[in-house]
Amino acid sequence: MPIPQQLGKGDRMGRGPYEKSGLIEDTALHPLKTQYIDYDLFFPMKTEEKGGKKVSSIASETLDLEVKLWYLPFGTMDDDPFLWKEYKKTVKISTSGK
Amino acid sequence: MYLFRIATVTCLAVLTIATAGMAAGVGVDKDKTLAAQPKANSIAELVARYDSSSCIDCHQQAHDEWSKSLHARSIFGTGRTAATFRTALINGTMDWPASGVKNFKDVKVEHLMGCAKCHLPQLADATDKVAQEIVTTINAWQDALRNDDEDKAAKAEKTLSSLNINCLICHNRNAITHKWTDGYPKKDTVYGSKDGEHPDGKFTKLAKGQVMSESIMCGQCHGLGPNFELENPTQCATGYGSYLFSYVPNGGNKTCQQCHMHESKLGHDMQSYRSKAMSDKAVDMKVTTNAVYWRDNTTIKPKVALRVALTNNAGHGIPDG
Repeated sequence: MPIPQQLGKGDRMGRGPYEKSGLIEDTALHPLKTQYIDYDLFFPMKTEEKGGKKVSSIASETLDLEVKLWYLPFGTMDDDPFLWKEYKKTVKISTSGK
Repeated sequence: MYLFRIATVTCLAVLTIATAGMAAGVGVDKDKTLAAQPKANSIAELVARYDSSSCIDCHQQAHDEWSKSLHARSIFGTGRTAATFRTALINGTMDWPASGVKNFKDVKVEHLMGCAKCHLPQLADATDKVAQEIVTTINAWQDALRNDDEDKAAKAEKTLSSLNINCLICHNRNAITHKWTDGYPKKDTVYGSKDGEHPDGKFTKLAKGQVMSESIMCGQCHGLGPNFELENPTQCATGYGSYLFSYVPNGGNKTCQQCHMHESKLGHDMQSYRSKAMSDKAVDMKVTTNAVYWRDNTTIKPKVALRVALTNNAGHGIPDG
């Protein structure tokens, strides 16, 4: 979201319309533009001893994903959060192969 | 020395005349607007001047739609707006050494215009007594909430909610943006989509508002950025700035009214993200996933490469402000 500049000077964020007079950062979604955000989400692993060696393997071949787009008018989840979009999917990964 | 005093007095006299002239304002027929009547001395007087209750008889649907919108309670809002008026005074005006405000009793119309420019533009047509009444009522409301006095809180809320952006603010007072070009809004005229007679005792004429269906109409308040005309600029809504400098350059060609009133089918219930009709349309979220085994020389890490694509279809940045 746009990060307003306090009284139009310096590097401090302003709060409230009476302080906001500029921008020090802008992370808004801009009109008619697509913004991409990439995440790497790792499957949980387990470690077992096999033949005296520690061997890691996947704990579950599925991963339940939940993506939520929140709008936080006051910057935190404690104050009037708005759930804009939600996505859920269970992703599966292969268990065969080298 | 005597000459200097005369010169000083003369200069002061000239300045006084010039200031009085500015107060009256330039522009043909500016003195025939609703805004140009003697300043309202109380909230009740200000409400009466812009009383649009007679519109309901014929425009029930528009009224009912409007009454669901925040325009219908532009000072009180959800309660947060009224609270922010107070915060702006305490953390802003009272904290600024040259504002002339040390406590609530010092607050004048000009001090409130940072908020009221948009939340109650007609406050400019009122005396400082009204500014005081607003501040006193907001304080009374907050005190009542603290003391769990529901009746007093409700009474204060009702008073504050009587001040709003109603039919006459958009369809008369603020209906003309370019007054030297299109003339000042006449106090007997309702500005809308056509010219003609208007069956009302007070507002007897209809006129086509030149900007009524244009984005600039909304841009008057849903603004450009810092309001530099104020002694201490504020910045609240910046939607029109984003519309002008980002939406249109990116190929957008709709007006505010097209999305917020017509396509949404919300009419005069102009809403933003809290309305599903608006929020569903405003942002697309597409998620793609790809489950893969990532590895370096010694480690294998199965992962999901997840991409979220967020597209803003609105005519302004999200969030605004």
